[in-house]
Amino acid sequence: MKRLGIAEALREAIAEEMERDPRVFCIGEDIGVPGGWGGAFTVTLGLEQRFPDRMINTPIAELGFFGVAIGAALMGLRPIADVQYGDFLLLASDQIINNAAKMRYMSGGRLKVPLVMRAPIGATGRGAQHAQSLERFFTGVPGLKVVAPSNAYDAKGLLKAAVRDDNPVLIFEHKLLYGSRGPRAEAGATDATSDIPDQDYTVPLDRAAVRREGSHVTILAWLLMLHHSLAAAQSLAARGVSAEVLDVRSLSPLDYETIGASVRKTGRVVIVEEGPKTGGVGAELAAGITERFGDCLLAPVVRVASPDIPVPFSPVLENAYRPDVPRIVEAAARLA
Amino acid sequence: MKMPDLATTGSDIRLVRWLAQPGEAVERGQPLLEVETDKALSTVESILTGVLREVSIRPGAMVSAGQVIAIFEVAAFSQGRRLKAKGRRPAEAIVAPTAVAPPAASVAAPPDSPAQTAPAPAPVQDRSFLLSLFERMVLIRQFEERVKFLFLEGTMPGTIHQCQGQEATAVGVCAALERGDWITSTFRGHGHALAKGLTPQELLDELFGARTGCCQGKGGSMHVGNPDKGMLPGIAIVAGGIPLAAGMALAFRMQKSSQVVACFFGDGAVAEGAFHEGVNLAALWKLPAIFVCENNLYGASTHVGKVMRNTRIADRAAGYGFRGETVDGNDVLAVYEAARRAAADGRAGRGPVLLELLTYRLTGHSRRDPCHYQPKEEREAWLGRDPIQRFAARLQERGDVSAADLEAVSTRVQARIEEAVAKSRLAPQPTLADLETDVLA
Repeated sequence: MKRLGIAEALREAIAEEMERDPRVFCIGEDIGVPGGWGGAFTVTLGLEQRFPDRMINTPIAELGFFGVAIGAALMGLRPIADVQYGDFLLLASDQIINNAAKMRYMSGGRLKVPLVMRAPIGATGRGAQHAQSLERFFTGVPGLKVVAPSNAYDAKGLLKAAVRDDNPVLIFEHKLLYGSRGPRAEAGATDATSDIPDQDYTVPLDRAAVRREGSHVTILAWLLMLHHSLAAAQSLAARGVSAEVLDVRSLSPLDYETIGASVRKTGRVVIVEEGPKTGGVGAELAAGITERFGDCLLAPVVRVASPDIPVPFSPVLENAYRPDVPRIVEAAARLA
Repeated sequence: MKMPDLATTGSDIRLVRWLAQPGEAVERGQPLLEVETDKALSTVESILTGVLREVSIRPGAMVSAGQVIAIFEVAAFSQGRRLKAKGRRPAEAIVAPTAVAPPAASVAAPPDSPAQTAPAPAPVQDRSFLLSLFERMVLIRQFEERVKFLFLEGTMPGTIHQCQGQEATAVGVCAALERGDWITSTFRGHGHALAKGLTPQELLDELFGARTGCCQGKGGSMHVGNPDKGMLPGIAIVAGGIPLAAGMALAFRMQKSSQVVACFFGDGAVAEGAFHEGVNLAALWKLPAIFVCENNLYGASTHVGKVMRNTRIADRAAGYGFRGETVDGNDVLAVYEAARRAAADGRAGRGPVLLELLTYRLTGHSRRDPCHYQPKEEREAWLGRDPIQRFAARLQERGDVSAADLEAVSTRVQARIEEAVAKSRLAPQPTLADLETDVLA
């Protein structure tokens, strides 16, 4: 057992999977460079020393190297492709959405694309083009699995499960949760370290997790918002409101079994999302919950999300943009 | 015979004149009537073979799709038009390659015989091999012609992008590959599929949306492929297969295999970012990929001269530090030899090659395109360079291949296709249980 942050846990997961399976390799920008960064947030730092032939550094060409990763996956390898910032996934989106996600269906089930994609997201003092929450653009794509770990234990287990899965899996990671050290450390980071067992384990790609039990209201969140929601639940408890907090974690498919059990218990739902409110994952969750468990709801579903604007730069504006603990407390208290 | 659905814009169609008279025998594919639509004249070919008994529309009258326009006495076995194996020998001369790209305006004419960087190898002599190339090309041409009329009949769903006139590119490249090699294709993939060894049956079934199709009816015309035969489903996003091919080649290298991948795309793909990124990565890592650009002069209806300053596409390879070669894409042996050199380069670790194959589409971009943008003189010049007729003429120069031998090939292919069509019409359609399967592994 050891205490690791998300960046270290991911690194350990990648190394263990590469050790276990010679078909696994990493491809991305600024990886495998001796004296370099190990990707934008140190996740692959030093792995080139252990796997010199399987850390493939690329030009800045997201469309190209995501296509390369998909082509290699089709031929039986198991690539892990990463972008420096999730925003750059949009350059690769043709390859991800039109090729990776559809190849199995188009081939009548004859092909599979065992591909892992990693993308850092979240508003972190970088303005409009390096800090978006991009989950919404990929959760509605049939053929693609999307997960978002909020702690180091899940990060390691989900990545390992993703490598072993025969489908394309997109992992969204939050820049403020990495726990990156040295020159790549993030100001204002949140502690997402976990105790990591010594033995091999995976975390299923299709399960939400109950992080705090409660009876009055269910709060659904993931990534950084999960941490804010847990803090909010503590404040709510002081005000006599018992909040159950779920880490949605698997954004596609959504785990309506775990979510439903909680909704049936509390009858009230607050969904917290870092991205803009309109058309977000929260919108899908609200619709899905209403369709499935509408008769258990004691009040309409409430969403706490960012306003429908690009991510602003000024710290004053960014702090006002991203949902925070007081906004979650207020929404949940009003509902309960 | 019912009026085929021609108009992409839904405009009115006016009959100008009949090109055959009642009492005349008409073959499928023979021009039957001339119509005016969108202020342009088009010829409508007969869907049926038989004796034209009666015409139901007078010249000058308006006609709509699906309307009965003529009564035929249909022949028992409808054969369609035979390919004429003994076409006239094309009068092209071997001209020294030009060092600089021709100005855009001159590209409309059929190109001179292209530059070749490597010395020409001894010509292939094996009779049965050469006949097999011929048969493959005839198979593609007849398949496409048959499919065209299945669409015009209205029995085949969807849309089609056909490759009549481009048979030598598909056949020449695939003949140069080994059994374990792969190809990627595009929305215009029927020819590539047949050249890579997919059967007319699995293709036709796919085009009919049947579960017995090569993609179980889930791919369709634009996504035909079969991994067991080394062909990915066609990538219908222009240039989308180029980065994939680089990745497949990377896998071959990492797996220490000697396989290569041939990646087909059109001239239109060259303006896409995916072309630039894909070939750059393959060149950077010296991957065993053959980038096969079928330059047929048009991206949909737009001439290459309107979308690029340098229309000599092979020149682009030098910018990325790898070898490019422009080849007469209507000469199946020239294509075969160039592809063989490229495959050898890939297997030897010398990296990718960009093959620009100069060819011409003798059919529309998609099913209803009458090609009004192709100048008449240009089209006729290319008709004189028909890859099948040229190869037929060359084969007959050998002395051991007769016109009758070639006619026998044509007849054999015809029977094979008719048999497949008959089976495909009865092939089982998917059931609702198939709707949501094969999304995830």
